[in-house]
Formats: sequence, C-alpha cells, structure tokens
Amino acid sequence: MTVAPPDTSTKYDLDFAKWVYENIEGGDKLALCMQCGVCSGSCPIGVQMDYGPRKLFMMIRAGMKEEVMTSSTQWNCTSCYRCVVRCPRSVPVTYILQDLAAKSAELGYAQKTNENVNFARSFWWSAKTFGRTDERLVTALYYFSFGLKEGYQRGLANLKIALNFVKRGRMHIGLPHRIKGRRQLKAILAKAEEIAKREGLH
Amino acid sequence: MSEKKPAVYLCKGCGIGEAVDVDALETVAKSEFKIGRCLQHAALCSDDGLATIRNDVESGSVNRMVIAACSHRVMTDKFQFGAAPVVRAGLREQVAWSQPAKAEDTQMLAADQIRMGVTQLSRTETPAPSVVQEFSRTVMVVGGGITGLTAAREAAKAGYPVLLVEKTDRLGGWAAKWSARMPHRPPYRDVQPNDVGKLVTAVQADKQITVKTNTLITRTAGQPGAFAVTLSQGGQETTERVGAIVVATGWRPYDASKLGHLGHGSSPDVVTGIELEAMLKAGTLTRKSNGAPVERIAFVQCAGSRDPDHLPYCSSVCCGVSIKQALQVVTRSPKASAYIVYEELRTPGTAEEFYRQAQKAGVIFMKGKAGKVDGGRMTVTYQDELLGMDVPLGPLDMIVLATGMVPNSTNPDAPAVEPEKGEAQLKDDINPVAPIKVAGYLSGEGKAWPHIDKGVPPGGPILNLQYRQGPHIPILADGFSDSHYICFPYETRRSGIYTAGPVRRPMDMAESAEDAMGAVLKAIQAIEGSKMGSSLHPRVGDLSFPKIGHDKCTKCRRCTVECPFGAIDEDEQGRPVINPSRCRRCGTCMGACPVQTITFDNYNPQMVNAMIEANEIPDEFSEKPRILVLACENDAYPAIDMAGINRHQWSPFVRIIPVRCLGSVTMQWISTALQKGYDGIMLMGCKSGDDYQCHFVKGSGIAKERMSKVGETLKSLMLEKERVTMEEVSIADSHRVPEVVNKFAELIGAMDPNPMKGF
Ligand SMILES: Cc1cc2nc3c(=O)[nH]c(=O)nc-3n(C[C@H](O)[C@H](O)[C@H](O)COP(=O)(O)OP(=O)(O)OC[C@H]3O[C@@H](n4cnc5c(N)ncnc54)[C@H](O)[C@@H]3O)c2cc1C
Ligand code: SF4
Ligand code: SF4
Ligand code: SF4
Repeated sequence: MTVAPPDTSTKYDLDFAKWVYENIEGGDKLALCMQCGVCSGSCPIGVQMDYGPRKLFMMIRAGMKEEVMTSSTQWNCTSCYRCVVRCPRSVPVTYILQDLAAKSAELGYAQKTNENVNFARSFWWSAKTFGRTDERLVTALYYFSFGLKEGYQRGLANLKIALNFVKRGRMHIGLPHRIKGRRQLKAILAKAEEIAKREGLH
Repeated sequence: MSEKKPAVYLCKGCGIGEAVDVDALETVAKSEFKIGRCLQHAALCSDDGLATIRNDVESGSVNRMVIAACSHRVMTDKFQFGAAPVVRAGLREQVAWSQPAKAEDTQMLAADQIRMGVTQLSRTETPAPSVVQEFSRTVMVVGGGITGLTAAREAAKAGYPVLLVEKTDRLGGWAAKWSARMPHRPPYRDVQPNDVGKLVTAVQADKQITVKTNTLITRTAGQPGAFAVTLSQGGQETTERVGAIVVATGWRPYDASKLGHLGHGSSPDVVTGIELEAMLKAGTLTRKSNGAPVERIAFVQCAGSRDPDHLPYCSSVCCGVSIKQALQVVTRSPKASAYIVYEELRTPGTAEEFYRQAQKAGVIFMKGKAGKVDGGRMTVTYQDELLGMDVPLGPLDMIVLATGMVPNSTNPDAPAVEPEKGEAQLKDDINPVAPIKVAGYLSGEGKAWPHIDKGVPPGGPILNLQYRQGPHIPILADGFSDSHYICFPYETRRSGIYTAGPVRRPMDMAESAEDAMGAVLKAIQAIEGSKMGSSLHPRVGDLSFPKIGHDKCTKCRRCTVECPFGAIDEDEQGRPVINPSRCRRCGTCMGACPVQTITFDNYNPQMVNAMIEANEIPDEFSEKPRILVLACENDAYPAIDMAGINRHQWSPFVRIIPVRCLGSVTMQWISTALQKGYDGIMLMGCKSGDDYQCHFVKGSGIAKERMSKVGETLKSLMLEKERVTMEEVSIADSHRVPEVVNKFAELIGAMDPNPMKGF
C-alpha cells in the first residue's frame, strides 16, 4: 500500500466485479467481503504489495480492472494463509489471489509488470520437467528470462553465494535430480489439464 | 360530605423508629392539629398493622387518614381502605434513610412531614369521576394502507366495532403497489410475495368493520368515548359517533423534482424507487429512453434523506427497499449487475440477513456519497470512502434514486384552513425555539427556526378538529404526528387520537403492522378509560378532573391556551369548558389560572398553598434556612426517593412537595413561600424544549416560561433572584439529586436569611 491511488479517470469496467465473482476461484465468496481490513492487517508482507487484499477487493468492485490485474498484490502473496484463517466472512483470500495471479498471467496483464511471474514460470518448468526443482536451473532460467545481458549480470552478482552453497553441500554439481516416476507425473499433469479444460477452468 | 374523622398512623418500621422520636411526632398531630386518633405501629404494612386500620375504618371511627411511613410511591395497594382518602407522609426514604438518626434537624423535618400530610388531608377528597355521555365503543381508523388495515383487523378481533375511512377508492395504500415484499418472516433472507391483498380481503369480509372508501373527514368534535365525526362521501355528509381514533394516513414520497443535483430530470432513465417498483411489478424492466433491457443498474441511497437541505431524517426503509429491488434485478437476468451506492447502509435486526443475501447474490455495495449523477452519460460518480477516491460508475442503463418518506400528518389533497388556525398552529407546534404561547407571560419572539417551513408537510387537517387550539393533530420537529416516540409511542397531543405507521415515524410494512396493534391497544384503553371517567397515560386510573369555578373565572383564556392537550374549549360567552376525557390531569391549567379557580378534588392550589404554610419556619437567628422543593411526580420525585433508598444524604433544611407536573405550579405558591419565610425555592422537573421528557409534553416548558418572569416578583419583594430556581432531573438522576439539592442549599445558606421570616 505504498503506491498512490491509480488514475481514476479511465480504465473502469463495470462488469469486472461480476467477472471476478464468476471466474476467479473463491470469487463468489469475495462478494461477502465487508471491507473490515483484517486480511490486510494480518498480511506479513502487506507493505510490499501495491494494495492490501482489502483494498484490492474494493477496487475489483469499483471496476478498476487494469490496476487490479497488473497489481503486485497477487504475485507477492506468500500463501501464509493468515488472512484466510482470520477473515470474519470466510473469504478465501489466498485462493483468490492465487487465481488472480494465474488469470492475470494468462490474460497477458502480468508480464508487463512483475518479476515474480518469470520466477513462477521457471519454477514450474523445473517442477514439471524433473518432478522437483533444481536451484541452479530455476535460477538460471529466471535470470536469463530478463535477457542475455541482464541474466549474465545477475548471475555474476550472485556467483559468490552460489560457490559458497556448493562448498557447504547445499547445491550440487552434475545432472539435475529427478524423481523416479516422471512418466506418471506427466500423465497426472495431462489429466489435470484435461479436467481443467472440461470444467472450463481456463 | 359526612363528618371528617381523620387519623394519623405512624410507622416505626424500616428504621423510622431509630431515626426519629415518633412520640414527639404523635404530639405534633395531637396538639397542633387536634387529631383524635393517632396510632404508632412497629410495621404498619404488616397484617396486624393493616387490620388495625381496617378495623378503625370499618367501625366508622375513621374515614380519612395520614399514613406516616414510606413514600406514597410504594405499598399503594396495601394502604387503601375503601373510599377513605389516604395521604402518605413520607418518613422513610426522605427522612430515616437520608438523614442522620436522632439529629435535631431530622426530627424537625419529620415533624414538618406530619404537618404537611395532615394539612393535605384536610383539603383532599376522594374524586368523583366525570363519565362520558353518549358513549361509543367504535374505533375509527383513518387510512386503509397496511397500517390502517391491520389496525382495523386487530380492533375487530379484540371485539370493538371499527369504522375504516379511506380517502381513495381502494384499500392497501402504497403497499398494494409493490412488486414484492422485503422479508418479514424467518429466515429473513429472500424477497417475499406481497401479501397485502389477503389483508384487504380479510378486512372486507369482517362484519365488525365498516369500510368507507372515497371518504374524507370534514369535522371531528367531542372527546374520547364520544367523538362526533362528520364524514363526506362524494359530497354526502353523515355524522358518526366513535370512541377513539387511530390515524394511519401513511406517507407521501419526497418530491423528487427537488433532487436535480442527483440527476433527477436529466434523463428518463434516472428514476425513483417508486417508479422502479411499478416496472418490476409489471415485469418489464426496460430503459424508458430506448426500450432496451436494463442490465446495469445503480441505486443512489439517501436521495433527499439525511440531508439538511431536504429531509433531515433517515427514511429508514429505502436501504431495505433498494436491496429488495437490486436482488430482483440480478435474479431476473444472469447478465445483470446492480450497484448500491450508500453512505451507511441501515439494515437493523434481521434485515442484516437480507443484506448478506444480496451480497451473496452478487449485488455490489459501494460505500460513499454520490457526488454527481450524469443522466447524459448515465454515470454516478461517488466519493468512495474505502478507496479514498472518486469513482465513476458507468455507463449504466438505469439510475434509481432511493427517495424518502414525508409523513401524511396533513392531507395534501384537502384545502389548508385559515392560516391562523392551520399552518400557524403546526408551526408553533414544531418550533422548538418559539416561546411557548403562555398567555400573559409571553416572552418576546424567540429565534427564528430555519427548518420551520420544511418541517410542516403542506396540506389541510386530517380530522379537522373542532378544538379551541386548532384543527390539526400536533406534530413534532420533522413533521411527524407524535408526542414522544420513545416514551409515549402512539400518543398524540390529542387524547384518544393515536397515530401509527409512517405518519409517526418512517417504517416498513412489518413495523407498521406492529405499530397498528400498539395504537389499537391505546385506542381501547381510551375507550375503556373514558367509560370509567379515568385518565389516560400517564395518570392512568386517576378519576379526578379539573373543575372551573365559573363565578371567579375572569375569562382570561390562559387555561385554554396552555393546556398541552387541547382539552379546554370555550363556550359562546368565552368561558372555558373542560372536556374531561380529553384531559390528562396534569394541572397545567391550574398552574395557569391567575385566580386559582381551577381545582381537582384531590389536588388544588389551596391545598398546596396550605401545605407550604403548614411548615414551621425557624427564625432568622436560628441558622436553619428552609428550602421548598416542588418536585415533579413523574421523574424528579422518584429520583429523590431512589436517592434515599441508596442512602444518599442531603441537606435537612429541604421540604419537598410532589406536584403532578411543573406546569401545575402556580405563581401563588412561590409568593406564599417567600412571604412565609422560605429562603429558597427549587422547581425540579423534566427536560423541556424540542427534546423534552416532560410527561405532559409542554408542562415543564410552560413552567420554565412562567419562572422566567419570577425575577421581577422577587425584585419587587427586594429579594435576590437566585432564591428561585429550576432544575432538570430525570428518573435516572438519583445520584445527582443530593448534589443538586446541597449545592442550592449552600448557595441559600451563604445568603442572608429571607427578611420576611416571622411576618
Ligand atoms: C419504493 C418503496 C418500496 C417499499 N417496499 C416495501 C417492502 O417491500 N416492504 C416493506 O415492508 N415496506 C416497504 N416500503 C415501505 C411501505 O410502503 C410502508 O411501510 C407502508 O406503505 C406503510 O403503510 P401505511 O398504511 O402506514 O401508509 P400508506 O401506504 O401511505 O397508506 C395510507 C392510506 O391512508 C390513506 N389516507 C391518507 N390520508 C388520508 C386522509 N386524510 N383520509 C383518509 N385516508 C387517507 C391513503 O389513501 C392510503 O390508502 C416501501 C417504500 C417505498 C418508498
Ligand atoms: S478479512 Fe475478509 S472481510 Fe475483511 S477485508 Fe479481508 S477479505 Fe474482506
Ligand atoms: S434507510 Fe438508508 S437510504 Fe434511506 S435514508 Fe436511511 S440510510 Fe438513507
Ligand atoms: S391543562 Fe392538563 S389538567 Fe388542565 S385540562 Fe389540560 S390536560 Fe387537563
């Protein structure tokens, strides 16, 4: 909540709230939000979000589509679930933020603004390819997602840390670790994709 | 009246015996007042004590008595012996429990209590009631909306014949026009079908109820138990006799053409909630401008309500109504979205369930004040309090202004009567800063009250009362017909005439129906009370009534003007005529009468005057000042009793006399007290003004007005004006009583004694 309120004159979409209520996981429950602010007050990283969840939810109602979809809120949420536990109206705040993140990436809003999108993509590539995350590859992929030059610079800047990790056995050299049943993992993910399609979750 | 055989019974229980010398008190009664039968008892309220008194009465040796014991407010059922007048001299709460035991001053106080009691007894009679002639049990209900229909049904169910008068050609009022009803039954979540039709059918089928539609009331004369009402149905007049009247004339919508700032008139698609009801009822929700379906709709709450430039009050139903309408809109079409722009959403009690239901269904609530409504672009721009910025909502298909309610305390379709009697009467009623018209004591013009024109709903009188004080039912500040909606619901300032529903304060149908039941119960009380000659609220059961000594009356008209309830008319010779069943027995007329010729059998100027004189006034060298407290029986006196019950102590120099209302205090008592040598006088009563708590509405205000003139009297007697004061004490103020009394006692103690002592 460190950012000044967005420009008010444009970018309103009266149907946005309805869209969120109907298309975002937990969005129907969002309708019950009474703007008490318990979620924002409970959020350990609320200060690092463009808007706390409470305000983001009111912006949804006000139809501020652009600001909501490009907000850092849904990307910076660490899924600690404090807000979910505390919300007096049982709004599943975390789920809503997660799905807002997914939808904003899907609809092309998120790339414009947020590094966490790139990280999420790298993370997911590793997870789905090896069945686990490989720090080196995730990091490298993430760094180079910003371009060759910046990837190189970021890598250099963190080289010393990486070497120390290796020295202490926290990071290994060699082929990435993989799980055994990668074929099954693939099948699981394919099935999930199929279900999502069938249920119209995309 | 047969020979007076008085007795004084002295109780020694509850600590009285330990606090005062009861033998000495008996001596006061015997030697000073020659009371033959005096008796001390360890506990007069015990079976033995009561039996002793009963024996005396039944044997014929005693036919009136002073019970010197606890306060007159307790044990009233026990200390009642047939028709024998009973006066209670309080020795418990205001002596034994609030003064140091066995002190000289305590004893003097107790002796004075006996003196006042015996004196009061010598001037009191058991009242003979005035019973209404040509009595009628019929309840007349004015207005056939949900309130009136419910009132009629309930009165009929209770066994009273009903005359239901409706000015239009059909029953149901506004409610009959509504598409559906806000939930009024558990689980209070969903819009419910409008069931007013059923009530209309039930009323029409009820043989106890006579329905007169297309009918107006042209005149109402008489009093509770015997009103004579002239009805005009298509120009044809008939006169009916009715016992009590329930006024359920409902409301009219606030004039939306005054809401240009909220876009009214800027587009045909900016409508009022009432217009939307009609569309929802007809089932065609389309834009008026182009016939397109309404998909996006916004409601602007408090349109004209809670706005000092329009209606200063909350109309109370529009929040629920907009929720109802928005729910209907979003359930009609899955594509529709509805926005409610509100500052505070007022959904008391179970309405909260309805609110939540609307949230669940996707109605979107936006908190903030609507700034600009643009009918051209169909946008509502409002100041969002939760985002801290202006938010434009648009483009919308329809904008609904949730307009408020104006009470039908007048009839907008009836011609206004002569200004002097009509509008001027109402303006006087609602003007909290106007001097109360106290003939002979009028204190200038008073400040102009800015809202006076907005407070009086335009129109002629509903009942056209043939009362000396004017044809209207008095109203309160915002134009509602009521007297005090918390303390005395349904009561108007015209006895036997009760208001119910939004004419009294804004309310929904369920509240209106409940209100109707309350008003009907009041109406029944009025009928039964007038049959017995008994007073109505707050002196229920009081059979006394004011009597005017026409030989002494100077026709000054003060009583007719000052009676808070318009109970006194004038005959052709200009003499005051009391309508006993309109009278609430406050005694304000008695306090007004400059020649003290208005009296009650058991309360009159002479009686209190004699009580004031009965007390012993120590001489100026004794350093024992005397302070007279005239305390209102409704609030101040109970507060004093409670202070005693809580064992608070206060100055022993105070002598307290209960009065029916400060309005009944005559200036003669004040001058008597000063001449007798009392050093200070305090009037203790209820709050006056527009937020008054006076049980007789204007009594304490009138007293205040009269007292504002007392300074001159004091000056002519060469006395300090601080010697006479007035204090507002409510029933919850018992802890304050000692402080108030002691402070005044200190002030008086610091002055020289009243030089009139001993004259
Ligand atoms: C848009 C809107 C929607 C509403 N919807 C709901 C709802 O869903 N649920 C709910 O509970 N409440 C609702 N309300 C409130 C509801 O309308 C009132 O509570 C109700 O109308 C009160 O009924 P009433 O009988 O007191 O008054 P009215 O309905 O005004 O009836 C008064 C009757 O008295 C007659 N009358 C007036 N003057 C005279 C006279 N001088 N002589 C003879 N007859 C006279 C009138 O012709 C009328 O028939 C709504 C209000 C609004 C503005
Ligand atoms: S805690 Fe729940 S109700 Fe409160 S603001 Fe957050 S989401 Fe809304
Ligand atoms: S009921 Fe609601 S809309 Fe109506 S005046 Fe009151 S607060 Fe405003
Ligand atoms: S002033 Fe009071 S006591 Fe006198 S007539 Fe009016 S209501 Fe009755």
